[in-house]
Amino acid sequence: MSLKRVVITGIGMVSPFGNGVPALMKGLEEGRSAVRFMEGWDEYNGLHSLVGAPVDMQGEMSIPRQKRRSMGRMSIFAAQAADEALADAGITLANEDLWRVGCVVGSTMGSAKSINDVFETMLPDKDLSKLNSTMFFQCMSHTATVNVAQYLGLNGTVMAASAACASALHAIGIGYDLIRLGRQDVLLCGGAEELHPTVTGSFDILFATSTKFNDNPQKTPRPFDRDRDGLVCGEGSGILVLEEYERAISRNATIYAEVTGFSTTASGVHVSQSNKESMITCIRQALGESGVKPEDVDYINAHATATLQGDQEEAEAIRDIFGASVPVSCLKGNIGHTLGAAGAIELAATLKMMETGVIYPTHNLENVSQDCEGIQHVMQPIKKQVNTVLKNGFAFGGINAALVCKKL
Amino acid sequence: MTEQDIIDKTNKVFEESFEIEKERLVPQAHIFTDLGLDSLDIVDLIVALQSSFEVKIRNEEKVRDIRTLQDLYQFISSIKAEKE
Repeated sequence: MSLKRVVITGIGMVSPFGNGVPALMKGLEEGRSAVRFMEGWDEYNGLHSLVGAPVDMQGEMSIPRQKRRSMGRMSIFAAQAADEALADAGITLANEDLWRVGCVVGSTMGSAKSINDVFETMLPDKDLSKLNSTMFFQCMSHTATVNVAQYLGLNGTVMAASAACASALHAIGIGYDLIRLGRQDVLLCGGAEELHPTVTGSFDILFATSTKFNDNPQKTPRPFDRDRDGLVCGEGSGILVLEEYERAISRNATIYAEVTGFSTTASGVHVSQSNKESMITCIRQALGESGVKPEDVDYINAHATATLQGDQEEAEAIRDIFGASVPVSCLKGNIGHTLGAAGAIELAATLKMMETGVIYPTHNLENVSQDCEGIQHVMQPIKKQVNTVLKNGFAFGGINAALVCKKL
Repeated sequence: MTEQDIIDKTNKVFEESFEIEKERLVPQAHIFTDLGLDSLDIVDLIVALQSSFEVKIRNEEKVRDIRTLQDLYQFISSIKAEKE
């Protein structure tokens, strides 16, 4: 059986810079930070990182109430991103065979605020009678993908990928396979996540968050930098329209790129620490599936969360494969770590960089850390023809993911 | 609590929880067909009414007979009367 080719024909997002892809690209172009001090977080004892990159939610009331009622914050972001992605792809669902259109949207877990609200409502008196009917639909692990499917009325494959910070890349990888195998024609793939003190707290108790910049939030996170001190959580959603190549060509769709390779590996070594050997294998497998040599890659969009160990392992993995021949940057200095959404938001931005031929630098990278040297860090915008890109994503649980896209 | 208080409080639940315009909240309005509530909304309606009127109604058999807003006003009224 010959595998079908898969292309990306639409992108959409809600990011800490606002609704829509243009808002993110404007923020990157202007070299801004969306990180701010989070009012009220200091009420949590034991939470040391008081910064985040929140989304100023807007436009949610245009989602019909009976669709919106099962949506937590992250699902609203995902629905809005899906709308933009479909419009960008020029796809009108009313004209589609909806049995051939589905979605794969990942997240670390269900809506953090909703989960928190459920327990705050139920536990003080151990009383379930105050819980409303749709809280469960906001809390379940596949909440984002289900809500996108319900909102759009999709009938095809609806799946969730839950792999923490690699969730969105996993979702795109799953979508890539589903279309390659001919199971679906069009899939909305990506991830969603929301900012909440309990989410930042899960990293904070592991000493993985940035804690030294509460008074100067815009200077953190600092991926690959000498003074990096941990990650800063963000929120949002990124959705990409994956489409079977022949179909996209036949309808004269604008194609951002072809997905040519995906790999995911596990380190099996440590539940929270990154591991460069398994990263290297992951990246090499994705390149191999693409038929791409390391020297053919024009840009690497790194995972780079600004943790001490994670950035070092990723830099070493990139150095091992590419040396200093390929520009490397990441977005987390601008928008924080959008966790389950990161792979999709950052891949969408990468595709825009590919389209415009401008590579944006790693925000807050001022002095490359000694342990992250030996790779080509982008510290100023670069104009460059970008034909082949690598997107990395790594997650708790020892999970690695790498995706390769080529311009047609 | 007067009948008008019951009507006002009940209507407020419909406005706030189900985003229904005040003008549509007439006594003869059918909760499902006119106001558009569905089975999930009924769960939320019960939760909201229990909170608003400080009553327990989830297990009341009479809940199943409610069709219109007028039915609901009368039901709440009877529950409140029983309680008092």
